[in-house]
Amino acid sequence: MEMDKLGVVTTFIHNIVVYNIPLLYGTVGEIVVEKSGSLNLGVEGIMAVGAIFGYIIGCYANSIAVGILTAFAFGALCGLLFAVLTVSLQANQNITGLTLTTFGLGVYFFVGNGLKAVAWPAMNDYSGIKNGFADIAIPGLSQIPVLGRGLFSHNVLVYLGVTIALVMWWYLNRTAPGLRLRSVGENPGAADSVGINVKRYKYIHICLGCGIMGIGGYYMGLNMSGSFNSSCWINGYGWIAVALVIFANWNPALAILGTFVFGFFNTLRVSGSSLAAAFPGPLGWLAAIPTQLYQALPFIITAIVLVVTSVRKREDSGLPAALGLNYFREER
Amino acid sequence: MRFHVVKRDNCPLWKKLCLYVLAVAAALGLGALVLLALGVDPVSYYYRMFTMGMVGNKIAYKTFENYLKVFVPLALTSVALSLAFKMRFWNIGGEGQFILGAIAAATVAFKLGPVLPGAVTLLLMCLAAMLLAGLYGAFVAVLKVKFGTNETLMTLMLNYIALYILTFLGETKADWNFYLDPNSVRPIFASFSDIVTFPKIPLVGKFGLNVCVIFTLVIGVLVFVYLKYTKQGYEIAVVGDSVGTAHYAGMKVNAIVLRTVFLSACLIGLAAAFKVGTAGILSTAITDDVGWTGIIVAWLSQMNTAIIFLVSALISMLRYGSTVAAATFSQVDSSFANMLQGAILFLVLAADFYTRFRVVPVQKGGKTNGNG
Amino acid sequence: MPEQYAIEMRGITKAFGSVVANRDVNLTLRQGEILALLGENGSGKTTLMNMLSGIYKPDRGEILVDGKAVSIDSPEDAKRLGIGMVHQHFKLVDVFSAADNIWMGREKSGFTLKRERYAEIGEMAKKFGFDIDPEKKVRNMAVSEKQTLEIIKVLYYGAKVIILDEPTAVLTVQEIEKLFGVLRRMKEEGHSIIIITHKLNEVLEISDRVAILRKGEYITTVNTADTNEQELTEWMVGRKVDLNIDRPVVEKTRPLLEIRDLTIKNDEGALAIDHVNFYIRGGEILGVAGIAGCGQKELCEAIAGLRPIQSGLMIHKGDNIVGLSPKAILEKGISMSFIPEDRLGMGLAPSLSITDNMLLKNYTEARGPFVDRKGGREDARRVIEELEVVTPSTETPVRRLSGGNVQKVLLGREIKAGPNVIVTAYPVRGLDINSSYAIYNILNQQKEAGVGILFVGEDLDVMLALCDKIMVLCHGRVMGVVHAHKTSKEELGLMMTGALDLTNKYEDKPAGYARDTNITDEELRELERREGEEEQP
Repeated sequence: MEMDKLGVVTTFIHNIVVYNIPLLYGTVGEIVVEKSGSLNLGVEGIMAVGAIFGYIIGCYANSIAVGILTAFAFGALCGLLFAVLTVSLQANQNITGLTLTTFGLGVYFFVGNGLKAVAWPAMNDYSGIKNGFADIAIPGLSQIPVLGRGLFSHNVLVYLGVTIALVMWWYLNRTAPGLRLRSVGENPGAADSVGINVKRYKYIHICLGCGIMGIGGYYMGLNMSGSFNSSCWINGYGWIAVALVIFANWNPALAILGTFVFGFFNTLRVSGSSLAAAFPGPLGWLAAIPTQLYQALPFIITAIVLVVTSVRKREDSGLPAALGLNYFREER
Repeated sequence: MRFHVVKRDNCPLWKKLCLYVLAVAAALGLGALVLLALGVDPVSYYYRMFTMGMVGNKIAYKTFENYLKVFVPLALTSVALSLAFKMRFWNIGGEGQFILGAIAAATVAFKLGPVLPGAVTLLLMCLAAMLLAGLYGAFVAVLKVKFGTNETLMTLMLNYIALYILTFLGETKADWNFYLDPNSVRPIFASFSDIVTFPKIPLVGKFGLNVCVIFTLVIGVLVFVYLKYTKQGYEIAVVGDSVGTAHYAGMKVNAIVLRTVFLSACLIGLAAAFKVGTAGILSTAITDDVGWTGIIVAWLSQMNTAIIFLVSALISMLRYGSTVAAATFSQVDSSFANMLQGAILFLVLAADFYTRFRVVPVQKGGKTNGNG
Repeated sequence: MPEQYAIEMRGITKAFGSVVANRDVNLTLRQGEILALLGENGSGKTTLMNMLSGIYKPDRGEILVDGKAVSIDSPEDAKRLGIGMVHQHFKLVDVFSAADNIWMGREKSGFTLKRERYAEIGEMAKKFGFDIDPEKKVRNMAVSEKQTLEIIKVLYYGAKVIILDEPTAVLTVQEIEKLFGVLRRMKEEGHSIIIITHKLNEVLEISDRVAILRKGEYITTVNTADTNEQELTEWMVGRKVDLNIDRPVVEKTRPLLEIRDLTIKNDEGALAIDHVNFYIRGGEILGVAGIAGCGQKELCEAIAGLRPIQSGLMIHKGDNIVGLSPKAILEKGISMSFIPEDRLGMGLAPSLSITDNMLLKNYTEARGPFVDRKGGREDARRVIEELEVVTPSTETPVRRLSGGNVQKVLLGREIKAGPNVIVTAYPVRGLDINSSYAIYNILNQQKEAGVGILFVGEDLDVMLALCDKIMVLCHGRVMGVVHAHKTSKEELGLMMTGALDLTNKYEDKPAGYARDTNITDEELRELERREGEEEQP
């Protein structure tokens, strides 16, 4: 009986990570983009594009590495579109991003449904993918009871996500290119005046950030345990990522924490009933909560977070001062 | 040959129109390429899409009625969104406001429909929808005004919360849930079209013009007049142009923002009432993405009320046409419309660049050859 | 052998749309000299220099550096050619430290950031003769520190030619002296310097030669030693300037506006106005002189009801206007117009037409829900005619108007409302001589009609000629109110920097109090009572 309860808790912690790593990818990717001064509202669409192409091409190549690279490439391609429009052609960033969302989702359904009618690759038929997505236990750490299996026994994309987040934190704060990127996002005029190529920095980092988002989308596709069915799409994760960026104060390391906090509530949706069954006394009421409330929970929490962060104006805010503004050198 | 980008002083209207038309044509061209890749003849596809399958169709009138059912909510929503956008308040919450408006209208239909005469019920449905949607929007405006909360993200979150409220109503079989069909074991929405529905005015043959179309056109004219000639419209223009100047002129900017956002959300609620009142039944897909499409339409029309109606008409043709065409051309999923729409907007944004800037070739080293 | 100049610009032309900022300009800079680039606001000095620093590209003409023709397409090119510019609006990242602002432009910076960079920058700065704290964040720095940082930055990148754009605009007298010392030292070390300015005294003090621009055109270059203020002024404005501004003598009324013990905080929370007393009579122009940032902006905003005050009284014709809304203050007949540096920020909606902008202050008066555009159009037509505004029509968007015309529209609108007190700040900013005179005439007309005018300005010569009395502010305190015909520029200058305090010149009458005051005894008592509370711990 005791083992059962522990098992449930372990699975719960495991699931927090599993279901919410896409958020981490989306958030870190958007942080990189926003640090360059561009507000990209197309996260949702870009993740969808990464998902569909990464999945299909990854399956056909029977390699999860190919899937990851494909998702990154297609995400970066979307980023390139965004960059061309907003950096070179001075288009409004909000509108471009929003259109990218509808466009990206359109591509997702178009390709997905079209392919479904013909021949839809099922993930479990491809051993390369299936094995690639299996859990890898970190020796030693994963032996810790409960937390071990919960936190340190995951598939490669989870580890990759956390690694990317930490690497990006280091890149932004401890490297010279990261310094220059931040200057572009804070005061592109100042960056320009010391000879930093503002356009190039924006292009590269928008593509990089969007590529990272794409990988997050791929993960979401894989995560549906082989029943990835493109007639559905997990709504809204892209938008939560945009909000999480604010919550994490534009700090990729804090994004990891933010993902966990969100993940906790989000996972209640999936594991709520099993938790209620294992601990009927204190947690029995969890089963009575309608699924739709759980589905809405991430958004409710984000809304609360948005209000709270706007009430407490921070001195040390990571908000790039020139966010959302297009840079034009000859601006009079 | 190196290039140098210079800002333009002014761009003549004919040039702008040419560039935009070119952009739309290019988008259609790209779409044609995609169709060819799928082995579909673009000409016949586009023909079917733009005529919405009305040619040689015995029940063409029905198709046109369905087209109008897409047009009305889109036009009204786009107009509503443009009101907020004019003041740089990015109301991305069209979806959520629409959903709540629909729920409010349906509630009135179920609860009061059987008791009151049809016209009264319809009126109350509209008012209830406007009120609930308006409050949903005003809520975010209050947060923005008081705390500076980012309205884009906040309205986005509220969209999903509204969606899940609707889903909850649609999936929870319970005694209190009068929205659901009592005769069905599985939860499905009940229809109230036999209790109350918007009437149609018979015109030609079997075709009946839904009164909502007339209402929408009237509202369009009213909004146009409101924005151009009234004091409140003037205030909106000043606040949207320069907040500092508005303060300086003694305008109560916060009140103006609140009022306009409320109005914007109200109109979206009204659009929902029209849609639900005509369809007679709720659905989790009741919005048909009108909150998103409306943003694109408002932007393409540069927030100009008259142009919004024109662009809505065209985009509705595109959207409805692609669902019709999907029946004949099964390889082309109806989300082709979303892709095409996106492509049009991207290319228009690109064309817009040429209306605001000029690209000048520059010779390296020494005398430059100017533009006179 | 023709002399090789450090910089030579030949036939430079640059236009922004239909506005020609530089027309066929020639400029030479000798090695190791300090050249002053002189001209009024709007003469094209900054635009010209921006082409040297790579921010703008000339439409026509050529640039030679050390005798070789070059193409400066970006700030990067300028940097490589050894040209560095300290802009009027600093190009610094607020959230970065001083060291990082310099480090970010380093080409061989390595991949990772090392703590040693702080020491390295600090050392570098010392070598140039500066003492800065490399770890201090720019947002915590004073204005002169930021300017020093900008200078270190250009030196760090090996600039041999250094351009400074209006560097003294934000400095105190002592800081200006320090800056000039720095410039002389840099000249000795072999740098060539261009200093953009419109202040004649500075030109005469620091420069070797002077180049003058007027309305985008190049006039001439002379040796500083061979010229004087009168000559330079003539070149700058195009004719002998005997500032012939009328100062009609008008019978004055009782004080229209009395300010007693006014204290105002600025946006950063510091005191902008510190216990200030003064009054304005009808039929009188009271000038307000002071260095930029001495509180003029906050004072104007407070009187207009746009900024809350900490304490004090503002009595208008016997009524206290403290706490009233901007609309209520407008209705009382107090009109305020403030021309900010970008000239379009406040008071006008740039995308709206002249007609629509005319309506701004009284659109609520029309009956019913509609705006009265016909009335607005009439007002617009009258203003255009009377003030000779250059515009295609009454419906032209205001942002399409060229500089001076914008201000005419603004002032015209203020006057149309028939105010009894006009507060105007920098009304002639950026205007050419003729337009400026038109403005002065308007103000004099209003004065003759019995209006009380508060005139905040930058040009002391103008104020000495136009105003009846001049009040000098320094760091938010009144240094004195003097009669314009009894004072001198030197005296005003001393008061502006705080070196001279004339407030207690007349012991029998407290400064800033009118003998025939409108302030009632009870209001005075209330004020004293509140002050007593303030002083308690």
